[in-house]
Amino acid sequence: MEGSPIDIVVFAPLAPILGVLLFWFIQLLFIESQKYLLGKIRSRHEALCRFTNFLGILFQSICHALGYTVTKSGISEFYISISYGRVAPKKQKKGLFEWIANVFLFIGPFFIPAALLLICLFFLMNQGFEIIPPSSLLELKYTFGGQIATFGTSLYNFSTNFFNFLLNIDFLHPAHFGFIILMILLGLGIRPSHIGEEKIDKVDMIYDLRNIWRLITHKPIYIIILFSTAYVFFYISLYLNQNWYITLFSVFGWLSIISIVSLIITHFIIIMIKLTDNIPGKKRILPYLTLPFSYILMRILFHYIKTPQSNSISTIIMIMLTGLVTYYLLRKNTNKFKTKKTIKTKDKKQKAEKE
Amino acid sequence: MKDKELLKDEKLERVLSPHPLSFMKYQSLSLFLIIWGLLVGWLVNFSGYSEMLAGNEWFPLLVWGLVLLVAGIIASLITVRWSIFFLYASIFLGGTGLLLWQNWLGVSGVFIPFYMITVSILGFLLVEWYRRSHKYIISNQRILFKGGIFTKNERTLRYDKISDINAKQGIIGQIFGFGTIIPISQSGFGLGADKSFAAGGVQLGGKKVKAMGLFGGGKEVQTPMSRSYFELHGVYPYKEIKKIVEEMVQGSVITEYQQEQVSFQKEQVDIQKQMRDLLKSQSDSKDQSEKEENNEDISEQMKKLKDR
Repeated sequence: MEGSPIDIVVFAPLAPILGVLLFWFIQLLFIESQKYLLGKIRSRHEALCRFTNFLGILFQSICHALGYTVTKSGISEFYISISYGRVAPKKQKKGLFEWIANVFLFIGPFFIPAALLLICLFFLMNQGFEIIPPSSLLELKYTFGGQIATFGTSLYNFSTNFFNFLLNIDFLHPAHFGFIILMILLGLGIRPSHIGEEKIDKVDMIYDLRNIWRLITHKPIYIIILFSTAYVFFYISLYLNQNWYITLFSVFGWLSIISIVSLIITHFIIIMIKLTDNIPGKKRILPYLTLPFSYILMRILFHYIKTPQSNSISTIIMIMLTGLVTYYLLRKNTNKFKTKKTIKTKDKKQKAEKE
Repeated sequence: MKDKELLKDEKLERVLSPHPLSFMKYQSLSLFLIIWGLLVGWLVNFSGYSEMLAGNEWFPLLVWGLVLLVAGIIASLITVRWSIFFLYASIFLGGTGLLLWQNWLGVSGVFIPFYMITVSILGFLLVEWYRRSHKYIISNQRILFKGGIFTKNERTLRYDKISDINAKQGIIGQIFGFGTIIPISQSGFGLGADKSFAAGGVQLGGKKVKAMGLFGGGKEVQTPMSRSYFELHGVYPYKEIKKIVEEMVQGSVITEYQQEQVSFQKEQVDIQKQMRDLLKSQSDSKDQSEKEENNEDISEQMKKLKDR
């Protein structure tokens, strides 16, 4: 069944744009949740919060500077601190150039740092970057459904390989280890937490969205030009029967996936910090020691007992053991994970002993 | 600080030490050694290059030494301190000497990481020892700086002698809340100079006659700079300490109103002095006139006596 002309001409180009927007929105939700978690641990981990804020400001300032470089405005001033960043152009350009520089400032941090990781992934991951043409999947070509299916397939293909890579990651390989560190840094600093010297509550997801909305509505002509360019690009792809249009948006989708996975990893780290804060004394270091020691022990074991998937098994055991140690310490040393009844009986026993 | 070290009416405000991360520039040298040592271990034993490196037992040593020395040169050029290069060169020579002496060249892939980790741990311990040798005592009258591992350095600075305060906080300092405060004394203690020099050489003439010329130029910039034991290096909490020091300095400096009062009092003292001198001179002149009168009487009586 062929798609209707309206579908092909009007709706089909919208498909990958909507897909990217959806993933970007998920990204925003994760960022907001991370800010909330950081706010929870702020009282005991001021330095970590300041560090995340610094990373966010660093990424944001780099993107802003990149915007000025792309628009040939030049950079006259570049200053960053833990709570404030300032990038000033040499020549203050107006119109489209100013708008592009602002796009880099407001939207760049969501994608540009992730692009760095994507470049690293090109060298570390052997497959997953293929864009499957819709003709090989469905009868419908260049329709809304066809485009969304191709976009989805491309993302699915990338995600499968990416997760496979993460599961089989070798923490003793310098490049893999460096990649994980970069992922954590990206996750922590994808947006400033606005917890520098003091917490700024008003700067949240709504603030970001309001800024972007203002950017769009301030000069609607540019957004119309952007959409028109996208449509023209789609028609050229359609005319030449190439999948360039989907390829372009798939890259944005991949960047969103990388960012979301980075944010999930940093969520686990922050949750672990929050949980270990409840463990009294120096015992709270134990879960952090379990992480490297369990992994190295497993790798030594698998060095002598050759096993397929030894990397993934080591990673899984490392995560499980760390979780178990944290759970055990929390259960033993705190009232967490204890039923009300047992706490009551324990309290009664303690009272009786005191008496 | 012992009580007997305190001056009369002196009260202790704070006793401080540098933050553990404030000597990061030294710690990073050790950190690099650990990372490079582990990387060499991985390259020789587990990487795809292990077969190539195993081809000759000298290869791992050469790769290790080359990168170490190049890193030393780069770090020295950046920090303008050749001691870093000599430090890395001595580490390389020490390791090579040990390898050859014990005939461990065949197991350099295992030796190098362990050697580097050991050296790094030693480096970290030395830095920590150096850090702990620092002690800054802030009292209500002065700041006392103490430091040095073998040679004990001490500096005492009274607040009224502080002419300027320089404060700086790097990114790590901003994250962890520490910073450096350099009090500059009226004598210029606490000021250093950044020097830069550029030179070019020229050779003129053919094969037989040669003329050599060297020309160059340099510039010097005065900047707040001091040894870590003569400044409040990496003190925590930075903002609080800075406020205390500034308040103390402010308390020791007389304000504009106080200056007016002092000059007014000075004027009054001057007037009183003038009046005293005037009175004195008047009384002196009175005495003299009396004396003169007496002398005149005597001379008259003498005259009368002579006439008789």
